Amino acid sequence: MWAVATLTFFAIRLIPGDPAQAILGGPGSQASQEALDQVRRDYGLDQPLIVQYVAMLGRLLTGDLGDSYALKVPVAELLGAQIGGTLLLAVLSLALSWVLALALSLVSTGRGRVATAVGEGVELTAAALPQFWLAAVLIAIFSTGLGWLPPVATGTPSGLVLPVVTLAIPLAGFLAQVMRESLLDAMSQPFVISARARGESALGIRLRHTIRHAALPGISLSGWALGWLLSGAVVVETIFAIPGLGRTLLQAVTLRDIPVVTGVVLLIALVYVVMTVLTDLAARIADPRLRQEAPR
Amino acid sequence: MRAAPVTTTTTKRRAGVIAGAVALVSAITLAGCQAAEPEASGDPVEGGTLVYASGDAEPTCLDPHVGGNYPQALISAQFLESLVSRDATGEIIPWLAESWEPSDDRLAWEFTLREGIEFTDGTPLDAEAVKVNVEHLKDPATQSSTGYLALGKVEAVEVVSDTVARFVLSAPDSALLESLAQPWTAIQSPAGIARGMDANCQAPIGTGPFIVDEWVKQDHVTLVRNDDYASAPADAANTGPAYLEGIEWRFVPDSSTRYAALQGGQVDVIDNPQPDTIAAAQGDDAFTWLDAPRPGASNRIELNSGQAPFDDERVREAFIRAVEVNDGIESLFFGTAQRSYSPLSSREPLAYSDASLFETDLEAANALLDEAGWTARDSDGTRMKDGARLTLRFPVSTNQSIPAEQSLFEQVQATAKQAGFDVVISLLDLSSWYGALAVNEYEIVSAPYTKVGPDVLRILYHSDSIIPAPSGYFANLSQLDDPEVDALLTEAASTSDPAERAALYEQAQQLILGGYYLLPLYDQQNSFLLSADVKGARAMPTVSTPSFLDAWLIG
Repeated sequence: MWAVATLTFFAIRLIPGDPAQAILGGPGSQASQEALDQVRRDYGLDQPLIVQYVAMLGRLLTGDLGDSYALKVPVAELLGAQIGGTLLLAVLSLALSWVLALALSLVSTGRGRVATAVGEGVELTAAALPQFWLAAVLIAIFSTGLGWLPPVATGTPSGLVLPVVTLAIPLAGFLAQVMRESLLDAMSQPFVISARARGESALGIRLRHTIRHAALPGISLSGWALGWLLSGAVVVETIFAIPGLGRTLLQAVTLRDIPVVTGVVLLIALVYVVMTVLTDLAARIADPRLRQEAPR
Repeated sequence: MRAAPVTTTTTKRRAGVIAGAVALVSAITLAGCQAAEPEASGDPVEGGTLVYASGDAEPTCLDPHVGGNYPQALISAQFLESLVSRDATGEIIPWLAESWEPSDDRLAWEFTLREGIEFTDGTPLDAEAVKVNVEHLKDPATQSSTGYLALGKVEAVEVVSDTVARFVLSAPDSALLESLAQPWTAIQSPAGIARGMDANCQAPIGTGPFIVDEWVKQDHVTLVRNDDYASAPADAANTGPAYLEGIEWRFVPDSSTRYAALQGGQVDVIDNPQPDTIAAAQGDDAFTWLDAPRPGASNRIELNSGQAPFDDERVREAFIRAVEVNDGIESLFFGTAQRSYSPLSSREPLAYSDASLFETDLEAANALLDEAGWTARDSDGTRMKDGARLTLRFPVSTNQSIPAEQSLFEQVQATAKQAGFDVVISLLDLSSWYGALAVNEYEIVSAPYTKVGPDVLRILYHSDSIIPAPSGYFANLSQLDDPEVDALLTEAASTSDPAERAALYEQAQQLILGGYYLLPLYDQQNSFLLSADVKGARAMPTVSTPSFLDAWLIG
């Protein structure tokens, strides 16, 4: 977290733009010299960079993210108001991509060359789809064409469908690729043959035995996936006009609103850390071998 | 030049729009459209909530006194009103002030306010309120930029009586009324201002037809009807409260999403439609196109005459002779934009045009460059002089130039190359763009400027505007520095005689155009697509913000 805060602090100062101007009405502002000086004093921007850096670390340690330059409200309050929507979007997308990925890999793995080829083709295509393009196509089909779903998310469940699908499809393609490999691996294990010998059906084997193997890499990837979804939210929130962290970040970068950018980046880093811990725990549940502290 | 009135164009279904002939067909479609009078569409219907989807940036503060940009003007015009307005012919008309009178020396103006008007918090609109508003605008703590500049010559406001406010000026200002007609100098409740910046930014209190009820950040602002509304501008069709119960003002940044939402009936009005969208909507009678170019300056490419190579008039003329934009405007804007030959918007009655100055002629361009000493060529065909390449840096703001305009600039680049110019386009975000201008790293640039009245010429072409503000910003981007132009603009800004004012502005525009300091492109594009169920909506003739006072919903 410290590394992330440090990187963000220095990276954002590399892009052109004066923070004092950001405070006084954004780019192109015609603020007077007195006003600029006043703001630089108030926000400590006249101090050497290292002093500003230490001051920022000190504030962060006490949990103070500072005030937004542009909106003049505490960053914590701003992010608190927006994180719910983005997390909901990300978690729903993750869940849907899991369902899609499992279904795809279970249906198409080990079912002959044609099924495998089709499955792999679908996965590869899905994983490679750019979100902005997918969103435009989905809107064209389901909003403009069929009129089933609204293009602008207005807080209703139906408004969330298209954004969630847009985020889930590329991710599902990616997860399914990984799952297929471990599923194939598991299918060739001796325990599959012994299960078959006991009279287990092909579907039964998949659902009762090999699915755990397929799920394992998927689970460990989910931490990464959630982070990926949070950054994907920037695109999807903008296209579907959903309030959230992605749009907050985009606006903050445009306005050179340093405290907000730092806050969002730290928050995403925190989500990564929490998710890594959670996926480790989930992996232990899915794989009993990890529960014994035996050396591999 | 006469100002083109804002026209409500009812689109008509036309068959056979083939991809290859889209530009031609849209031009015909446009030409065939008739201006429809809003009054002609039946009797107003009471009730309903209009959903508006805005593609402009969501304001960080709803009070247009703070900062002062166009997104703030768009929404605040729904709940704040100004002392005066402007009608479609460019005439200043009464609004919150019913009359006004300058003193003989023109250093004092007395505004008589309409009686019995209250802000929506019950505070009466009186001379004291006007005084508080002007002081609020001039207070550095308000951080006003646009309104502050507009009231530059106003020293103080004196309360003469409850209904008479006297503006005391430091110098005569022929642009005072135009300045006061802008949304950035709108009059708010003094009690609202007294709540402090944070509260006032959330929900400013005005006299307008709607009231800010709730602002859900990044999502929408809910506006509800002001049932006691009684202060319509003199040119409004409806003088009482609005027919609509309210407006849901949504922020939808993506332009294709906005159009999809309009097509699906999820929203009733969208702003900032892209030219291809407008062309598509032309073929569908479910939509109405409200074309409302902004006042002030035209969109134009400024040539930086402050440094080489454009400090040489021959090189400037060569660039203008070489660059061909008409075909590009026609095809890239699908016939929705009209070529301009004036530094001013066609909305300005005093705009002066001269198409003859902008004829393209590659041979003449080459001859001028040869004459100016740019005779050598490098391996790319770019002209050279004393070892320097004829390079033109062109920073383009992606926030201000729509994709069609960016493509047009690529055509500028391609046609200028034929004469040996190497135009280097850099697409920049707003902060970086202002940064490049502030350190003079540009030879050509396009920067919009919205203002009511021809006084915008003083801001853009008076040599005083080359001096940068502390932030590095300066408005005179062509860096035109001509004492004769300065004198004309200063005189025009202080004269009391309308005929003399018009003549002075005409002479100034002749000098500005004749010196090849700019290449006018088209009016600053600004338009709205409305569902055919929306009747009576119009764009204000001040800064072309939409007005829903006269609007109603059918069906």
